[in-house]
Amino acid sequence: MRDNPVLRVVAKIIIPMILLFALYVQFHGDFGPGGGFQAGVIFAAGFILYGLVFGTEALRSAVPPGLLRWVISLGLILYTGVGIATMLMGSDYLAYGALAHDLIHGQHLGIFLVELGVGVTVSAVMVTIFLAFAGRNDP
Amino acid sequence: MLTLTSIALLVTMVLALIRAIKGPTVYDRILASNTLGTKTVLMIAVLGFIVGEPELYIDIALMYALIGFIGTVAVLKVSEFGDLGQAQSTSDGEKS
Repeated sequence: MRDNPVLRVVAKIIIPMILLFALYVQFHGDFGPGGGFQAGVIFAAGFILYGLVFGTEALRSAVPPGLLRWVISLGLILYTGVGIATMLMGSDYLAYGALAHDLIHGQHLGIFLVELGVGVTVSAVMVTIFLAFAGRNDP
Repeated sequence: MLTLTSIALLVTMVLALIRAIKGPTVYDRILASNTLGTKTVLMIAVLGFIVGEPELYIDIALMYALIGFIGTVAVLKVSEFGDLGQAQSTSDGEKS
């Protein structure tokens, strides 16, 4: 599908918008619809569109599968790291209030970091699933 | 006024759905489902104004529009090549 000019140009225009909207859903999740999981899926949808139009080989060279596994682990470590950090600061697991001096500030920071971890992990997992299904015939 | 708009949109969606079910060729079905997706975007926006929280529903409508395009591209690719991962057209597609 790479030799189809309409699809190629539209994909190149629309992919940055999808990624930007995913970031909006991620960081605006407190006030509107959204959150880590949804933002991760939308962010992965941009990469999936790239893989559909330009082929899984191009997607593999853009995001190597080895890097994807690191990113999956990174999000999980971020999530559990916030929980263990609150434990080390003398509170319960994932009790965000202990992260800052002010309770509200700590909760904002904790929710932000945990949702970021969820989003990173979900987007990497979605791209990995797409590569596993669509690229199974690759050499 | 908004009720009338939503009723008209629902009638259009039913017509597109009938074409998607009856459509003789796969292109009819893809075009009908694409039309259905567009009408769903409009329906979500109208629903936002009916409920009274348009800024919330506009986000959902935008996301539906972006994701629906990806779904259409994926269905087209599967119907043309029978495979999601190929980069080039016909010559590579007939091989698998």
